[in-house]
Amino acid sequence: MNTGCGRDRWVRFAAWPLLILGLWAGQARAALQVQLDEAGLAPPEIVATRQLLEQARTHLPDAMQAALEQPIRLRWSDTLDAGVAGHAGRNEILLDRELLTAIAAGDAAARQRALATLLHELAHLYDRVAPGGPMSRDPRLLDLAGWQVRATRIGTQLAGRRENRFVDRSPDRYELSKPAEFVAVNLEYFLLDGSYACRRPALHRYFAQRLGAPPAAAGEGAPCARDFVYADAGDGDAQALAALDPRRVYAVDYLLADSNDQVMSRWGHSMLRLVVCAPGRVPGPDCRLDLSHHLVLSFRAFVGDVQLSSWRGLTGRYPSRLFVLPLTQVVDEYTKVELRGLRSTPLRLTPDEIAGLLERAAQLHWSYDGRYYFLSNNCAVETYKLLHDGVPRLATADLGSITPTGVLRRLERAGVADNSVFDDPAEALRLGYHFESLRPHFQQLFDVARSQLALPQARVEDWMALDPAQRRPWIVRTDLRSGAALLLLEQAAQRRQRLQVQEALKRKYLGSDEHPAEVAVLESLLQQGAYLGRPAQLLEGTGYGLPQAREREQLADEGEQRRARLKQLHADVEAGARELMTPTQRALLDGIAANRDLLGQRLRELHAEEGGVRLP
Amino acid sequence: MKTPAILLSIALLGVAPAAFASSFAGTSAGGSSASSASSDSSSGNDKVVLAARDDAASFVASDGAIRGAQLEAALRHLREHVPQARQASDIELAKAILAL
Repeated sequence: MNTGCGRDRWVRFAAWPLLILGLWAGQARAALQVQLDEAGLAPPEIVATRQLLEQARTHLPDAMQAALEQPIRLRWSDTLDAGVAGHAGRNEILLDRELLTAIAAGDAAARQRALATLLHELAHLYDRVAPGGPMSRDPRLLDLAGWQVRATRIGTQLAGRRENRFVDRSPDRYELSKPAEFVAVNLEYFLLDGSYACRRPALHRYFAQRLGAPPAAAGEGAPCARDFVYADAGDGDAQALAALDPRRVYAVDYLLADSNDQVMSRWGHSMLRLVVCAPGRVPGPDCRLDLSHHLVLSFRAFVGDVQLSSWRGLTGRYPSRLFVLPLTQVVDEYTKVELRGLRSTPLRLTPDEIAGLLERAAQLHWSYDGRYYFLSNNCAVETYKLLHDGVPRLATADLGSITPTGVLRRLERAGVADNSVFDDPAEALRLGYHFESLRPHFQQLFDVARSQLALPQARVEDWMALDPAQRRPWIVRTDLRSGAALLLLEQAAQRRQRLQVQEALKRKYLGSDEHPAEVAVLESLLQQGAYLGRPAQLLEGTGYGLPQAREREQLADEGEQRRARLKQLHADVEAGARELMTPTQRALLDGIAANRDLLGQRLRELHAEEGGVRLP
Repeated sequence: MKTPAILLSIALLGVAPAAFASSFAGTSAGGSSASSASSDSSSGNDKVVLAARDDAASFVASDGAIRGAQLEAALRHLREHVPQARQASDIELAKAILAL
């Protein structure tokens, strides 16, 4: 609903006959006075206006009425722009005359619209005189609303907050036009809609704290669900839509992937890790090893087509979205595929702060469609802003930096990040504070097999460069220990080979006009996957803010369907990639796969011969 | 274990290094594939245990020197849920995980 605009336009006021409606006079509290311009109104219209004002009054918290000391002139106007239902001038409210005509004719929807508009305009008037200063200039309100700080400025400052990118699941996109409109639109919903508390809980708390509870908000409402629903971007078999209860989260860590020499990852990548406890486990340090339940919040630039350019990365042409991933998948991607280590530094947060952070993450997940800027709005800045906006205490801690390590250093300096967990490196590995890449151990692993099998190669590189068939005769003679070592190396060879194939395919297809069907399938996959970072797409047009009960049912169905489609596309991409490979590439990959199978077989046989423990 | 198809996506994307994947590109186009459970493993094994196979291999190959968190999680899980695991040593359990 687009209710009006709050430009402070001075409206000339002629000496019309004014009737002071004593609606709110006679009350104990110094109250709002409204003077209705009756010119041209029929008696039933005056009555209808009176009823409208009376109804509005029941929705206004005392604090709001008390702050509006000056009499407010109310006029039904037929000169408002098309589509504009109201206007708040200086101690004056204009409402669209057509609304009154409709109300007098008994149109209930028009009456509701007029009520919302009147409250919206009163909210504007209130905001200008609010005790404690306008809400639309309060840094905390701007944080919550989505006019976010920049990493390179002091946290509480107003300057530099440029654009509100919380564009999805908005009740009224007009709220995004400027902070004053955001306040007016949101107060309108706060005062009228009982579900506001559950859909925008942090804003509801903010308004309730400044104004008191809304006296007459109607409809579904509290109690709110205590968990947050999210689209699982993992590639495992978890449900497409999952829910997270903040009470199950024991801790939040700053998760930092080591940098490598590639341009876009030279600074590393920053994420947040949620230490979620396994079902049935009381939240506490034991949850640290419930790795398969831990989640990662990761901001990624979402690329929806096969052309990717650094220029677009620098100029904000890619969306930056929040993805929720299983930790185990993130660990595999970094330590095994990219051969980068991960360091997980615990943040000293109270349970309430963790809940606030997760609530903010949920708001981002459902509403945020940011712009990725390689230098000014990258993963580090996004993670910093999430901490800044989700945990008010951290907003003053000067954590802003444009690099992942910079944010970590500032968190440490502020006493928030606890890096003592790395004092004992072996314990850090054992307890999952540090996940290391195997690459530094390749030679060590190779030496194990080399001494047992008397392998002729001295360097692991030479071993991995052999044709898979040349490695095979040795594989069948391993003992358990060297078999384990060779298995890891064979897996590494497999990943490396796949990367080389991908690199070759990329060179072949991306600079050329050739565009085989397989590439189109890939594009389709990427586009279909967009919802994982922008799940509001699953709920087109229904509700605003965090999804509520009925929307959650709808989500579950839609999510499963989308996931099924994605899985099929994945399979098609796999198959398609195989078709695009050269015979040599295929033979190499098949040879490695055969070696892996052989090693698996060999390890099982050796284990059985040893009479080792058998797991069910 | 299949390598996630998404890697191919990234390559075709023109996102030069795969390293780019997690930090920049839209790798999250989700979907299936990397269910780390290999098809030949015995049934009923928890994903915690299956996820620890690489850690178990490093542990066995290094004779206990390389000890990662996923192995640690699996050892605890087995001792909590599997009676015959309670008496077994770490290395015995690591070998058993490797043989799944």
